[in-house]
Amino acid sequence: MSITRRTVLALVPVAAIRCAAQNPNQPRALTPAQRRTTEMLVDRIIPADELGPGALECGAANYIDIQMADYLAPQREAWVAGLAALDAFALETQGSAFADLSAEKRDAVLMRLTDNGGPQTLQGFFNTARTYTLQGTFGDPHYGGNIGGKGWDIIRYPGPRPATSADMQKMDHEAEPYRRSAWGNE
Amino acid sequence: MAITLKPVDVAVVGLGAAGGVAVLPLCRAGLKVAGIEAGTWMDPHKDFKADEIHNNTRGLITTGNKIRREAPTIRNSPTGPSRRGGPSPMMNAIGGTSIHYHAQSWRLKPWDFKTVSETTKRYGRSYIPQGSTVEDWPISYDDLEPYYDIAEIEVGVSGKAGNIKGKLDKEGNIFEGPRQREYPMPHLRTCDYLEMMKKAARSLGWNPFHSPAAINSVPYNGHGACGYHGYCDRGGCHLQAKNSTCFSTIPKAQATKNLTIFDRAQVTRIVADANGKVMGVSYIFNDLEYFQPAKAVLVGSYTYENVRLLLLSKSKAFPNGLGNNKGQVGKHYFGHWDAQAGASASALFPMDLNIWYGAILSQGVVIDEWADDSFDHSGLGFIGGASMTVNTEKHPIAAAGGSTWGQVPRNWGSDWKRWIHQNAGRSASAYIQTNTFPYETTFLDLDPEAKDPLGDPVIRVTTMTRENERKAAMHAQDKAVEWFQAAGAVMTTKGNPNGPNLSTHTYGGTRMGDNPDTSVVDKWGFAHEAPNLGMLGGSVFGTSGARNPTLTIQALAWRTAEHLAKNWKSIAG
Repeated sequence: MSITRRTVLALVPVAAIRCAAQNPNQPRALTPAQRRTTEMLVDRIIPADELGPGALECGAANYIDIQMADYLAPQREAWVAGLAALDAFALETQGSAFADLSAEKRDAVLMRLTDNGGPQTLQGFFNTARTYTLQGTFGDPHYGGNIGGKGWDIIRYPGPRPATSADMQKMDHEAEPYRRSAWGNE
Repeated sequence: MAITLKPVDVAVVGLGAAGGVAVLPLCRAGLKVAGIEAGTWMDPHKDFKADEIHNNTRGLITTGNKIRREAPTIRNSPTGPSRRGGPSPMMNAIGGTSIHYHAQSWRLKPWDFKTVSETTKRYGRSYIPQGSTVEDWPISYDDLEPYYDIAEIEVGVSGKAGNIKGKLDKEGNIFEGPRQREYPMPHLRTCDYLEMMKKAARSLGWNPFHSPAAINSVPYNGHGACGYHGYCDRGGCHLQAKNSTCFSTIPKAQATKNLTIFDRAQVTRIVADANGKVMGVSYIFNDLEYFQPAKAVLVGSYTYENVRLLLLSKSKAFPNGLGNNKGQVGKHYFGHWDAQAGASASALFPMDLNIWYGAILSQGVVIDEWADDSFDHSGLGFIGGASMTVNTEKHPIAAAGGSTWGQVPRNWGSDWKRWIHQNAGRSASAYIQTNTFPYETTFLDLDPEAKDPLGDPVIRVTTMTRENERKAAMHAQDKAVEWFQAAGAVMTTKGNPNGPNLSTHTYGGTRMGDNPDTSVVDKWGFAHEAPNLGMLGGSVFGTSGARNPTLTIQALAWRTAEHLAKNWKSIAG
């Protein structure tokens, strides 16, 4: 796998992104502990690695936290219950709450789940978590995730331009990444 | 106590793809028209965004709150229980579904109008699918051709003709019926991926052509050309280059000063007198009931709502619903067998396709060799077939979350991330639309339990899988796979077309026909039992064709409205 120009652009310091995600005026739904478990979960679904930031650095947990106080509010109760069930399963199988485990042990917990082990309701929760993680990593930055459009670099999506030229649809064309929200610069 | 409004000549129920077209010939003929629409204007700058979460994940353009609560129920046997049917494309807005549709703008084939007689002539009566209630339309392609022509011009359709007065052109669709002239605009822009797929099709001896589309390829109708930004699917056009009726025919009708729009007005009943003559419509606005008297009423509120309005509008003359004294309202319903019925084919390519940008099916290339009666069906065990479109426009959440083709063990983690980094932009699908027919056991009625917030029952859809349509769709899937393989796909997959979910293309329920025992409206679109009531939309179709319905809906709407204006005294007098 080659490191492309876009990937290099994606390697913005993590601290700076975390900072941008913390808008204190935006209502949030999760307690600090729930937020931390959410962060440690999305971090394993799309990990930071040699290809650049993962879901956590892109703001997927922030997306979930903000949207659970907004459009996804009807899902908040199920989300919080899922986090608790995840903790219980982590404690049972790895000896500690999920967020307190190392990356390797968190992977081991999730592998048990996705390789068809563990309670079925928890497998369902993982699928939901993956769906929200995708939304918070690859969706428009307007919703609190995909900060600075960095998630789009992961899949080499050129960005939501208002209009495109014929050249931009050529197979070998590498467009300058366009990283604005459709709702304006944020 | 309802508030009675000043009488108008014509009340048009619904200002969407159908009603939004019908108002134009009425207004131009000098008739005073009330356009009554449950939704309101949408703002291209505020409402139409290049935002997958807004358009696709949350469906905020396609389904307003009202529609979610009026969505039909569905059941898969004529006696079983029904359940809420999931998302529906119905929407409330001026422009209606034409705001967010894919805008592929097709003429049906001559065969679609004469399926029974043509099939019987070529293969024998036994080839008509068992249990089907299909009959020839009371009109032919030639009857509708002048109205296709005017709809293409007034709405604004781009494309390349394949048959002008019998002269074939391989750049267009050589299987189409004869047209009187070229499209008003050239087809939309091509791109490397589409050229690759055209080359592959030609290597198989097929005749690829660009989609006809109600999208401006060049400035037209006072609006600019398409920006190909890739958020056409389930979204409105921020450039007003998609020719939704709110940008095309409705403003032209407003310019005549003969159209009054009543928005946020939900029509609840069509009112008829004791002799069966329609007197006007009742609607709710701001929790108050209004009565709009009219000399004629045209109903264009989507297939489900057209049927529901008639069934709810009971009176002395029509105890079982308006125009339903022969029990035909709701009969001969069918939903299109397309991707929503499981018909699909997909491919993974070894290189970046760069189809992120584009204009969904409208920036597409189509194969029509395996649709309708373009090929010999002797011994195949089915009639019809499917059109196949390959197209542009990929959205990032869907692309990242798509199939990994069994190439990584899990759909999360670093291995998966590496895989989507390379491959999220390398898969493509073919959109397969199958010729679909009505059956004795596919119909619409009022759900005995599920109700909308006003307390009126919602529509109940009864439908089930069909051997003929399943075979036709599977035949087309095999051809689509062949096409992808010829183009160099490394992996391909096929769907499992087993029918019958809710489709975005819904037909029948107020079928058009000459025989009042098997249809609701006559060949002009007016109810056999209530001659000053016209029906607009897919509900009058007798067959689906293998392609999107909207241009045919619009050609028929124009024809029905023009017929009303030309025969005003005899119909409304």
